[in-house]
Amino acid sequence: MSTRYHLKDIILLALIGIIFGVIYYAGDFIYNGFSILLTPVGLGPMANDLTMGLWCMAGPMAAMLLRRPGAAFLGEFLGAAGEMFLGGQWGAANLISGFVQGVATELGFAVTRYKHYDWLGLASSTFFATLITFGWDWFRNGYAHFSLGLNLILLVARFISMFVFCGVLVKLIANLLERAHVIKPA
Amino acid sequence: MNPSLKLLLVLLLSLEISFTQKLVVNLLLIAVGLGLVIATRPGLLTLLRLLVVPAIPAATLSITIGLFTPGHDWFFAAVLASRVYVYVLLGSAVTLSTPPLRLARSLEQNAHLPAKFAYGTLAAINLLPRIVTAVKTIKAAGQMRGVTLSFWSPRLYFKAILSAITWSEQLAQAMESHGFVENQPRTVAQPIPLSKIDWLRFVGSFGLAQVVLIAFP
Repeated sequence: MSTRYHLKDIILLALIGIIFGVIYYAGDFIYNGFSILLTPVGLGPMANDLTMGLWCMAGPMAAMLLRRPGAAFLGEFLGAAGEMFLGGQWGAANLISGFVQGVATELGFAVTRYKHYDWLGLASSTFFATLITFGWDWFRNGYAHFSLGLNLILLVARFISMFVFCGVLVKLIANLLERAHVIKPA
Repeated sequence: MNPSLKLLLVLLLSLEISFTQKLVVNLLLIAVGLGLVIATRPGLLTLLRLLVVPAIPAATLSITIGLFTPGHDWFFAAVLASRVYVYVLLGSAVTLSTPPLRLARSLEQNAHLPAKFAYGTLAAINLLPRIVTAVKTIKAAGQMRGVTLSFWSPRLYFKAILSAITWSEQLAQAMESHGFVENQPRTVAQPIPLSKIDWLRFVGSFGLAQVVLIAFP
Protein backbone atom coordinates (compact mmCIF):
# COMPACT_ATOMS: atom_id res chain seq x y z
CA MET A 1 0.00 0.00 0.00
CA SER A 2 1.52 3.26 -1.11
CA THR A 3 1.26 6.19 1.23
CA ARG A 4 3.10 8.72 -0.89
CA TYR A 5 1.26 11.34 -2.84
CA HIS A 6 2.52 12.29 -6.24
CA LEU A 7 1.62 15.34 -8.25
CA LYS A 8 -0.95 13.34 -10.21
CA ASP A 9 -2.72 12.16 -7.03
CA ILE A 10 -2.80 15.64 -5.54
CA ILE A 11 -4.33 17.10 -8.69
CA LEU A 12 -6.90 14.27 -8.75
CA LEU A 13 -7.86 14.80 -5.10
CA ALA A 14 -8.31 18.54 -5.59
CA LEU A 15 -10.26 17.92 -8.81
CA ILE A 16 -12.64 15.51 -7.11
CA GLY A 17 -13.31 18.00 -4.33
CA ILE A 18 -13.97 20.78 -6.84
CA ILE A 19 -16.15 18.60 -9.10
CA PHE A 20 -18.28 17.53 -6.16
CA GLY A 21 -18.52 21.18 -5.17
CA VAL A 22 -19.73 22.10 -8.66
CA ILE A 23 -22.32 19.31 -8.68
CA TYR A 24 -23.74 20.04 -5.28
CA TYR A 25 -24.06 23.74 -5.70
CA ALA A 26 -27.63 22.49 -5.99
CA GLY A 27 -27.26 21.74 -2.29
CA ASP A 28 -27.35 25.47 -1.59
CA PHE A 29 -30.84 25.77 -3.00
CA ILE A 30 -32.02 22.81 -0.98
CA TYR A 31 -30.47 24.29 2.12
CA ASN A 32 -32.18 27.64 1.55
CA GLY A 33 -35.51 25.99 0.76
CA PHE A 34 -35.42 23.79 3.88
CA SER A 35 -34.34 26.77 5.98
CA ILE A 36 -37.30 28.87 4.92
CA LEU A 37 -39.73 25.99 5.37
CA LEU A 38 -38.44 24.76 8.72
CA THR A 39 -37.61 27.98 10.56
CA PRO A 40 -41.26 28.92 11.32
CA VAL A 41 -41.76 25.60 13.12
CA GLY A 42 -38.54 25.95 15.10
CA LEU A 43 -36.55 23.33 13.18
CA GLY A 44 -34.55 25.79 11.03
CA PRO A 45 -31.08 24.39 11.84
CA MET A 46 -32.21 21.01 10.50
CA ALA A 47 -31.58 22.38 6.99
CA ASN A 48 -27.88 22.36 7.87
CA ASP A 49 -28.02 18.78 9.14
CA LEU A 50 -30.07 17.46 6.23
CA THR A 51 -27.60 18.79 3.63
CA MET A 52 -24.43 18.02 5.64
CA GLY A 53 -23.92 14.64 3.95
CA LEU A 54 -23.60 16.32 0.56
CA TRP A 55 -20.72 18.52 1.69
CA CYS A 56 -18.79 15.59 3.15
CA MET A 57 -18.94 13.25 0.13
CA ALA A 58 -15.59 14.12 -1.41
CA GLY A 59 -13.64 12.68 1.53
CA PRO A 60 -15.00 9.10 1.56
CA MET A 61 -15.05 9.10 -2.25
CA ALA A 62 -11.35 9.99 -2.38
CA ALA A 63 -10.59 7.24 0.14
CA MET A 64 -12.49 4.64 -1.91
CA LEU A 65 -10.63 5.74 -5.04
CA LEU A 66 -7.03 6.01 -3.78
CA ARG A 67 -7.24 3.63 -0.80
CA ARG A 68 -4.41 4.99 1.27
CA PRO A 69 -4.01 6.87 4.54
CA GLY A 70 -4.66 10.59 4.17
CA ALA A 71 -6.80 10.33 1.03
CA ALA A 72 -10.08 11.15 2.78
CA PHE A 73 -8.58 14.13 4.55
CA LEU A 74 -6.82 15.48 1.48
CA GLY A 75 -9.86 14.97 -0.76
CA GLU A 76 -12.03 16.97 1.59
CA PHE A 77 -9.46 19.63 2.47
CA LEU A 78 -8.03 20.28 -1.01
CA GLY A 79 -11.58 20.39 -2.34
CA ALA A 80 -12.37 23.05 0.25
CA ALA A 81 -9.25 24.95 -0.78
CA GLY A 82 -10.48 24.82 -4.37
CA GLU A 83 -14.01 25.86 -3.49
CA MET A 84 -12.56 28.83 -1.66
CA PHE A 85 -11.84 30.37 -5.07
CA LEU A 86 -14.99 29.21 -6.85
CA GLY A 87 -16.82 32.32 -5.75
CA GLY A 88 -18.41 30.23 -3.04
CA GLN A 89 -19.74 32.62 -0.44
CA TRP A 90 -17.67 31.31 2.46
CA GLY A 91 -14.22 32.22 1.14
CA ALA A 92 -11.37 31.26 3.45
CA ALA A 93 -13.80 30.03 6.12
CA ASN A 94 -14.23 27.03 3.81
CA LEU A 95 -10.78 25.86 4.92
CA ILE A 96 -11.88 25.45 8.53
CA SER A 97 -15.00 23.43 7.64
CA GLY A 98 -12.94 21.44 5.14
CA PHE A 99 -10.38 20.68 7.82
CA VAL A 100 -12.98 19.50 10.35
CA GLN A 101 -14.84 17.39 7.79
CA GLY A 102 -11.57 16.00 6.45
CA VAL A 103 -10.36 14.90 9.87
CA ALA A 104 -13.79 13.43 10.61
CA THR A 105 -14.04 11.25 7.48
CA GLU A 106 -10.38 10.26 7.70
CA LEU A 107 -10.83 9.05 11.28
CA GLY A 108 -13.50 6.60 10.11
CA PHE A 109 -11.03 4.84 7.81
CA ALA A 110 -8.19 5.15 10.34
CA VAL A 111 -10.03 3.15 13.01
CA THR A 112 -10.53 0.32 10.50
CA ARG A 113 -6.72 0.47 10.08
CA TYR A 114 -7.11 1.47 6.44
CA LYS A 115 -8.05 -2.09 5.53
CA HIS A 116 -11.75 -1.68 4.87
CA TYR A 117 -12.57 0.20 1.72
CA ASP A 118 -16.01 -1.37 1.76
CA TRP A 119 -19.26 -1.09 3.70
CA LEU A 120 -17.50 -1.26 7.05
CA GLY A 121 -15.07 1.57 6.28
CA LEU A 122 -17.85 3.73 4.87
CA ALA A 123 -20.16 3.05 7.82
CA SER A 124 -17.36 3.93 10.24
CA SER A 125 -16.55 7.09 8.28
CA THR A 126 -20.24 8.06 8.28
CA PHE A 127 -20.41 7.55 12.02
CA PHE A 128 -17.36 9.68 12.82
CA ALA A 129 -18.31 12.37 10.31
CA THR A 130 -21.71 12.70 11.97
CA LEU A 131 -20.32 12.95 15.49
CA ILE A 132 -17.40 15.26 14.79
CA THR A 133 -19.20 17.72 12.53
CA PHE A 134 -22.02 17.79 15.09
CA GLY A 135 -19.51 18.57 17.82
CA TRP A 136 -18.16 21.41 15.71
CA ASP A 137 -21.66 22.86 15.19
CA TRP A 138 -22.21 22.52 18.94
CA PHE A 139 -19.86 25.51 19.29
CA ARG A 140 -19.97 27.27 15.96
CA ASN A 141 -23.67 27.25 15.21
CA GLY A 142 -24.87 27.47 18.77
CA TYR A 143 -26.29 23.94 19.03
CA ALA A 144 -25.28 24.01 22.71
CA HIS A 145 -28.17 26.41 23.29
CA PHE A 146 -30.85 24.17 21.79
CA SER A 147 -32.99 21.88 23.89
CA LEU A 148 -31.99 18.24 24.25
CA GLY A 149 -34.97 17.13 22.16
CA LEU A 150 -34.07 19.41 19.26
CA ASN A 151 -30.44 18.29 19.43
CA LEU A 152 -31.48 14.64 19.20
CA ILE A 153 -33.67 15.37 16.17
CA LEU A 154 -30.80 17.27 14.53
CA LEU A 155 -28.32 14.48 15.26
CA VAL A 156 -30.62 11.88 13.71
CA ALA A 157 -31.25 14.11 10.67
CA ARG A 158 -27.51 14.55 10.21
CA PHE A 159 -26.82 10.85 10.51
CA ILE A 160 -29.48 10.05 7.89
CA SER A 161 -28.00 12.65 5.54
CA MET A 162 -24.47 11.30 6.05
CA PHE A 163 -25.65 7.74 5.60
CA VAL A 164 -27.49 8.48 2.36
CA PHE A 165 -24.82 10.62 0.69
CA CYS A 166 -21.46 9.56 2.22
CA GLY A 167 -22.53 5.92 2.64
CA VAL A 168 -25.03 4.74 0.05
CA LEU A 169 -24.30 7.19 -2.76
CA VAL A 170 -20.50 6.90 -2.42
CA LYS A 171 -20.80 3.10 -2.41
CA LEU A 172 -22.96 3.17 -5.57
CA ILE A 173 -20.39 5.39 -7.31
CA ALA A 174 -17.59 3.08 -6.14
CA ASN A 175 -19.54 0.11 -7.55
CA LEU A 176 -19.71 1.80 -10.95
CA LEU A 177 -15.96 2.52 -10.79
CA GLU A 178 -15.29 -1.12 -9.93
CA ARG A 179 -17.35 -2.36 -12.85
CA ALA A 180 -15.38 -0.01 -15.11
CA HIS A 181 -12.15 -1.48 -13.65
CA VAL A 182 -11.02 1.93 -12.44
CA ILE A 183 -10.65 0.52 -8.93
CA LYS A 184 -10.12 -3.05 -7.85
CA PRO A 185 -12.99 -4.83 -6.09
CA ALA A 186 -12.79 -4.46 -2.30
CA MET B 1 -0.08 42.04 3.66
CA ASN B 2 1.76 38.84 2.80
CA PRO B 3 -0.84 36.34 1.48
CA SER B 4 0.12 33.46 3.81
CA LEU B 5 0.01 35.70 6.87
CA LYS B 6 -3.28 37.19 5.75
CA LEU B 7 -4.80 33.72 5.39
CA LEU B 8 -3.41 32.64 8.77
CA LEU B 9 -4.79 35.76 10.46
CA VAL B 10 -8.29 35.24 9.03
CA LEU B 11 -8.29 31.54 9.96
CA LEU B 12 -7.15 32.31 13.53
CA LEU B 13 -9.76 35.04 13.97
CA SER B 14 -12.54 32.88 12.49
CA LEU B 15 -11.62 30.03 14.80
CA GLU B 16 -11.46 32.31 17.80
CA ILE B 17 -14.91 33.84 17.27
CA SER B 18 -16.32 30.32 16.84
CA PHE B 19 -15.55 29.62 20.47
CA THR B 20 -16.31 33.03 22.00
CA GLN B 21 -19.63 34.79 22.40
CA LYS B 22 -18.87 38.48 22.05
CA LEU B 23 -20.88 40.85 19.89
CA VAL B 24 -18.66 43.93 19.68
CA VAL B 25 -15.66 42.11 18.26
CA ASN B 26 -17.92 40.46 15.65
CA LEU B 27 -19.37 43.82 14.56
CA LEU B 28 -15.89 45.32 14.41
CA LEU B 29 -14.63 42.42 12.28
CA ILE B 30 -17.67 42.78 10.01
CA ALA B 31 -16.86 46.48 9.51
CA VAL B 32 -13.20 45.71 8.77
CA GLY B 33 -14.11 42.81 6.48
CA LEU B 34 -16.64 44.91 4.60
CA GLY B 35 -14.11 47.71 4.21
CA LEU B 36 -11.49 45.30 2.87
CA VAL B 37 -14.00 43.72 0.47
CA ILE B 38 -15.09 47.12 -0.86
CA ALA B 39 -11.42 48.15 -1.21
CA THR B 40 -10.96 45.36 -3.78
CA ARG B 41 -13.67 47.07 -5.89
CA PRO B 42 -15.92 44.06 -6.36
CA GLY B 43 -18.84 44.30 -8.79
CA LEU B 44 -22.17 45.38 -7.32
CA LEU B 45 -23.52 41.87 -7.88
CA THR B 46 -20.69 40.25 -5.90
CA LEU B 47 -21.19 42.69 -3.06
CA LEU B 48 -24.95 42.14 -2.97
CA ARG B 49 -24.47 38.37 -3.01
CA LEU B 50 -22.03 38.58 -0.08
CA LEU B 51 -24.55 40.59 1.92
CA VAL B 52 -27.81 38.84 0.97
CA VAL B 53 -26.96 35.13 0.79
CA PRO B 54 -25.63 34.79 4.37
CA ALA B 55 -28.87 36.38 5.59
CA ILE B 56 -30.63 33.01 5.30
CA PRO B 57 -28.40 30.97 7.65
CA ALA B 58 -27.99 34.02 9.90
CA ALA B 59 -31.77 34.50 10.20
CA THR B 60 -32.42 30.77 10.59
CA LEU B 61 -29.99 30.45 13.49
CA SER B 62 -30.99 33.61 15.31
CA ILE B 63 -34.75 33.04 14.97
CA THR B 64 -34.37 29.49 16.27
CA ILE B 65 -32.26 30.63 19.22
CA GLY B 66 -34.47 33.61 20.04
CA LEU B 67 -37.90 32.03 19.67
CA PHE B 68 -37.54 28.29 20.02
CA THR B 69 -34.93 27.61 22.70
CA PRO B 70 -35.62 27.48 26.43
CA GLY B 71 -33.46 30.55 27.14
CA HIS B 72 -34.82 32.91 24.41
CA ASP B 73 -31.35 34.42 24.41
CA TRP B 74 -31.55 37.22 21.82
CA PHE B 75 -28.01 38.42 22.63
CA PHE B 76 -26.62 35.04 21.64
CA ALA B 77 -28.90 35.09 18.59
CA ALA B 78 -27.25 38.33 17.51
CA VAL B 79 -23.80 36.83 18.19
CA LEU B 80 -24.58 33.87 15.92
CA ALA B 81 -26.00 36.02 13.13
CA SER B 82 -22.99 38.36 13.22
CA ARG B 83 -20.68 35.33 13.33
CA VAL B 84 -21.98 34.13 9.96
CA TYR B 85 -21.21 37.54 8.47
CA VAL B 86 -17.70 37.60 9.97
CA TYR B 87 -16.89 34.26 8.31
CA VAL B 88 -18.23 35.39 4.95
CA LEU B 89 -16.75 38.90 4.86
CA LEU B 90 -13.29 38.09 6.28
CA GLY B 91 -13.10 34.95 4.12
CA SER B 92 -14.01 36.84 0.97
CA ALA B 93 -11.65 39.67 1.86
CA VAL B 94 -8.81 37.13 1.47
CA THR B 95 -10.03 35.47 -1.72
CA LEU B 96 -11.02 38.73 -3.44
CA SER B 97 -7.69 40.43 -2.69
CA THR B 98 -5.40 37.47 -3.44
CA PRO B 99 -5.22 35.76 -6.83
CA PRO B 100 -4.81 31.96 -6.43
CA LEU B 101 -1.37 32.03 -8.12
CA ARG B 102 -0.03 34.58 -5.64
CA LEU B 103 -1.37 32.59 -2.70
CA ALA B 104 0.16 29.37 -4.06
CA ARG B 105 3.54 31.10 -4.51
CA SER B 106 3.39 32.57 -1.04
CA LEU B 107 2.42 29.26 0.56
CA GLU B 108 5.37 27.60 -1.19
CA GLN B 109 7.94 30.32 -0.45
CA ASN B 110 6.83 31.72 2.92
CA ALA B 111 4.95 28.83 4.52
CA HIS B 112 7.20 26.13 2.98
CA LEU B 113 4.31 24.04 1.72
CA PRO B 114 5.68 21.35 -0.65
CA ALA B 115 5.48 22.69 -4.21
CA LYS B 116 3.46 19.68 -5.39
CA PHE B 117 0.61 20.61 -3.06
CA ALA B 118 0.71 24.32 -3.87
CA TYR B 119 0.81 23.92 -7.63
CA GLY B 120 -1.16 20.67 -7.86
CA THR B 121 -4.14 22.34 -6.18
CA LEU B 122 -3.61 25.47 -8.26
CA ALA B 123 -3.70 23.38 -11.44
CA ALA B 124 -7.02 21.89 -10.38
CA ILE B 125 -8.45 25.32 -9.55
CA ASN B 126 -7.43 26.67 -12.95
CA LEU B 127 -9.33 23.83 -14.59
CA LEU B 128 -12.60 25.08 -13.11
CA PRO B 129 -14.17 26.41 -16.34
CA ARG B 130 -13.60 23.02 -17.98
CA ILE B 131 -15.07 21.21 -14.98
CA VAL B 132 -18.24 23.29 -15.14
CA THR B 133 -18.54 22.64 -18.87
CA ALA B 134 -17.92 18.92 -18.41
CA VAL B 135 -20.63 18.58 -15.76
CA LYS B 136 -23.07 20.42 -18.05
CA THR B 137 -22.09 18.18 -20.97
CA ILE B 138 -22.65 15.00 -18.94
CA LYS B 139 -26.08 16.24 -17.88
CA ALA B 140 -26.98 17.24 -21.44
CA ALA B 141 -25.81 13.87 -22.77
CA GLY B 142 -28.10 12.21 -20.23
CA GLN B 143 -31.01 14.41 -21.26
CA MET B 144 -30.59 13.30 -24.88
CA ARG B 145 -31.22 9.74 -23.77
CA GLY B 146 -34.13 10.84 -21.64
CA VAL B 147 -32.16 10.36 -18.41
CA THR B 148 -32.15 13.18 -15.89
CA LEU B 149 -28.88 13.23 -13.94
CA SER B 150 -28.99 15.19 -10.70
CA PHE B 151 -26.87 15.50 -7.58
CA TRP B 152 -28.20 12.19 -6.28
CA SER B 153 -27.32 10.22 -9.45
CA PRO B 154 -24.25 7.98 -9.04
CA ARG B 155 -23.75 8.02 -12.81
CA LEU B 156 -23.17 11.77 -12.88
CA TYR B 157 -20.37 11.52 -10.30
CA PHE B 158 -18.99 8.39 -11.98
CA LYS B 159 -18.59 10.10 -15.35
CA ALA B 160 -17.16 13.23 -13.77
CA ILE B 161 -14.59 11.15 -11.85
CA LEU B 162 -13.53 9.42 -15.08
CA SER B 163 -12.85 12.86 -16.60
CA ALA B 164 -10.98 13.93 -13.46
CA ILE B 165 -8.67 10.90 -13.69
CA THR B 166 -7.81 11.72 -17.31
CA TRP B 167 -7.27 15.40 -16.53
CA SER B 168 -5.06 14.71 -13.53
CA GLU B 169 -2.81 12.48 -15.63
CA GLN B 170 -2.64 15.01 -18.46
CA LEU B 171 -2.01 17.96 -16.16
CA ALA B 172 0.72 16.15 -14.21
CA GLN B 173 2.36 15.14 -17.47
CA ALA B 174 2.15 18.68 -18.81
CA MET B 175 3.67 20.12 -15.65
CA GLU B 176 6.46 17.55 -15.64
CA SER B 177 7.26 18.15 -19.29
CA HIS B 178 7.61 21.84 -18.42
CA GLY B 179 10.30 20.97 -15.90
CA PHE B 180 8.31 20.48 -12.67
CA VAL B 181 10.10 17.85 -10.57
CA GLU B 182 8.70 16.74 -7.22
CA ASN B 183 10.78 17.25 -4.09
CA GLN B 184 13.55 19.09 -5.91
CA PRO B 185 14.78 22.56 -5.00
CA ARG B 186 13.13 25.16 -7.19
CA THR B 187 14.25 28.59 -8.31
CA VAL B 188 11.83 31.42 -7.71
CA ALA B 189 10.43 33.35 -10.65
CA GLN B 190 8.55 35.89 -8.59
CA PRO B 191 9.57 36.23 -4.95
CA ILE B 192 6.75 37.04 -2.52
CA PRO B 193 8.19 39.36 0.15
CA LEU B 194 7.60 38.67 3.82
CA SER B 195 8.72 41.81 5.63
CA LYS B 196 8.86 42.94 9.22
CA ILE B 197 5.94 45.25 8.46
CA ASP B 198 3.84 42.21 7.49
CA TRP B 199 4.60 40.57 10.82
CA LEU B 200 3.94 43.83 12.66
CA ARG B 201 0.54 44.16 11.00
CA PHE B 202 -0.26 40.51 11.74
CA VAL B 203 0.65 40.75 15.42
CA GLY B 204 -0.97 44.18 15.72
CA SER B 205 -4.30 43.12 14.18
CA PHE B 206 -4.46 39.91 16.18
CA GLY B 207 -3.51 41.74 19.39
CA LEU B 208 -6.13 44.43 18.80
CA ALA B 209 -8.79 41.78 18.31
CA GLN B 210 -7.81 40.21 21.65
CA VAL B 211 -8.14 43.54 23.44
CA VAL B 212 -11.61 44.17 21.97
CA LEU B 213 -12.58 40.60 22.72
CA ILE B 214 -11.69 40.94 26.39
CA ALA B 215 -12.84 44.51 26.95
CA PHE B 216 -16.29 44.49 25.30
CA PRO B 217 -19.35 42.22 25.64
